Amino acid sequence: MKIIAVIPAYNEGTRVGNVVSEVAKYVEKIIVVDDGSTDDTAQIAKKAGAIVLTHIENCGAGAATMTGIDAARMLGAEVVVTLDADEQHSSDDIPALLKPITDKKADMVFANRFGRRNNIPLIRRVFNGLGNIITFAATGKWVSDSQCGFKVFGPKAVSQVDLRMSGYEFCTEIVRESAQHRWRTAEIPAKVLYSEYTLAKGQSFANGVRTALKILLRSFLR
Amino acid sequence: MEFTAYQIITPLISFVAIAYAWNLVFKQKKTIWEALLWSVFWGFISVIAIYPNSLDYLTAITGIKDRENAVMVTSLGVLFFIVFYLVIRLENLEQRQTRVIRKLALRDIDKTKK
Repeated sequence: MKIIAVIPAYNEGTRVGNVVSEVAKYVEKIIVVDDGSTDDTAQIAKKAGAIVLTHIENCGAGAATMTGIDAARMLGAEVVVTLDADEQHSSDDIPALLKPITDKKADMVFANRFGRRNNIPLIRRVFNGLGNIITFAATGKWVSDSQCGFKVFGPKAVSQVDLRMSGYEFCTEIVRESAQHRWRTAEIPAKVLYSEYTLAKGQSFANGVRTALKILLRSFLR
Repeated sequence: MEFTAYQIITPLISFVAIAYAWNLVFKQKKTIWEALLWSVFWGFISVIAIYPNSLDYLTAITGIKDRENAVMVTSLGVLFFIVFYLVIRLENLEQRQTRVIRKLALRDIDKTKK
């Protein structure tokens, strides 16, 4: 199976190089989508061996992910792994996440940061729990860690996924897509490495509320 | 029980809206969950139209008893809808801009393939 990793990145110059080097052990190609960064994210990712696509303006994680998936399709990908560029995910979890796809037991695999012992701050747990509840209200499908960027799309999901939401609400949209297209899904416990850096890059409360409202209104009007 | 024109037209509109939503489900453009939410909303509108007295309970808990209050609440509703409509329009424009930026980025992948 042709496996391609997609890494959306915005001002991750200090981290993206390491992420690309680590992920390269498990996939055939890596696409980094530089989402209008003002630092040297694109150059560092390219130097580390990734194919780099550049958004001339910052559009959001959802748009960057979809650009990466489109590019992966154009390169003939059968399986797409998406993960964050800030080193919060461990690339060593990729084989475990790929297993349900290679065993043909799932069309889409969600990493679950809460499925194993991880040092996750309480506030993060609360926000993620709220994200799960909103996602359930909007899609009718419960996913234990709906807001995690670490996912694997199998052949069916790669060919059908079509994300229209540009920002962080794309995580909920992916769950919606899985419900709409009736993909078989699996959840695999994964490691998460929170640092001061990753915590500082997290969403603000106001942004979270705005995202939640967008999701609910969009799901109602669609 | 005699029905007014309003009591006949509103449920008909609701029926069309619900049928449209489920049609989108069959075309795989809407999820079953979204169609259910939509059906509950329009079902609620129909119930209010057919049984206006069902609003007595709402009146009791909200305190909207006189005409002035009702006009005020309705105006707020209309304003909310206008703001909501503008937000959606802005979002659509934003999506259009995003599509252009994404297309530009994807032109680079063709160069990679060559």
